[in-house]
Amino acid sequence: MNNPSAPVEIGRANAHDVRILWADGHESVYPAADLRLACPCASCAQQSAPRPKGQIRLLPAGIQAVHPVRIELIGQYAIRVYWSDGHSEGIYAFERLRAACPCCGVERLA
Amino acid sequence: MTSQETGNSIRYVIPVASGKGGVGKSTVTANLALALARGGARVGVMDADVYGPSIPMILGVTSLPETDDQDRLRPVDQDGLKIISMGFFMAPEQAVVWRGPMLHKTMQQFLNGVIWGELDYLLVDLPPGTGDIQLSLCQSIPITGAVIVSTPQDVALNVAQKAVAMFRTLNAPILGIIENMSDYVCPHCGVHDEIFGAGGARTMAERLGVEFLGAIPLTAVIRRASDAGRPVVAAAPDSAPARAFAAVAEKVASLVNARPEGADTRPRVTF
Repeated sequence: MNNPSAPVEIGRANAHDVRILWADGHESVYPAADLRLACPCASCAQQSAPRPKGQIRLLPAGIQAVHPVRIELIGQYAIRVYWSDGHSEGIYAFERLRAACPCCGVERLA
Repeated sequence: MTSQETGNSIRYVIPVASGKGGVGKSTVTANLALALARGGARVGVMDADVYGPSIPMILGVTSLPETDDQDRLRPVDQDGLKIISMGFFMAPEQAVVWRGPMLHKTMQQFLNGVIWGELDYLLVDLPPGTGDIQLSLCQSIPITGAVIVSTPQDVALNVAQKAVAMFRTLNAPILGIIENMSDYVCPHCGVHDEIFGAGGARTMAERLGVEFLGAIPLTAVIRRASDAGRPVVAAAPDSAPARAFAAVAEKVASLVNARPEGADTRPRVTF
């Protein structure tokens, strides 16, 4: 991999969460619920669109129990996550994942 | 790309893209494929321009692919090339009027439902634009490096850089840019004329930080050979246009062979 922020390994951090090891040695752990809420598919993205000020976002029931069942590579730029709730439409680009690494805190996943 | 499921083993996957239509992608694809094959490589051509497939005509293919007992397609074998195209499955007067999911399915079938066998190069002739087919291809198979074709004038170059941006967005490497219809030499008086300008693709390649792969002249010899179903590299291999294609093929071969160790490495997924 020439790109230092390209992933070299994608696996489990624990029973629920996703761990990505990047080419520059950095390690990111994405909580499953945050990743599921950040699903970039058209349907989910519409639901998580910006809300009017003061409006509370209601989280789906059982979101904390949702976990990835399988992850597959999409070309050279992204992954698709197959979730335990049956959803699998979202394609998560590496660039977006790296920018939203929870420990770096530059961007939020969702 | 090696797949135990399909039995295919393809060393280099090279999409030929342009952004703008009408710049000679298919002609470049056919001649580049023939030039690589003349150098001893095993070459396949996947005509992914499902809306306007022209590879069968340019390569003069008259036979049709057959299927094996598992309904997998055997590509047509011609001039040492393995060829698949939507043109084999549609009458000339029929049009493909499809939405994205059908296009995606077709790309999947052309990649995984075709008995490509062992190839050194699979050249993929893309339609113009940065749409469903380009995205499906980049999602379905690791790209070795894309070749961008442009004519020298600004109106083509402006769109060609969108193709560069698309491949970069999808983390697909870019081998470089070919300037087609670069220079016209009058066959009667020998005067050079830059009908579409000249040097624009080289300048753009420098600006975008990609390789310039070479220039192909604008000449009726190439057009006549393509219309006759015998591309210039096969019909007149010692002609100046054929030599230009051979030089581009040499450059492409040297670039793919010079890629750094681990350039094809995809992340390990342990999920």
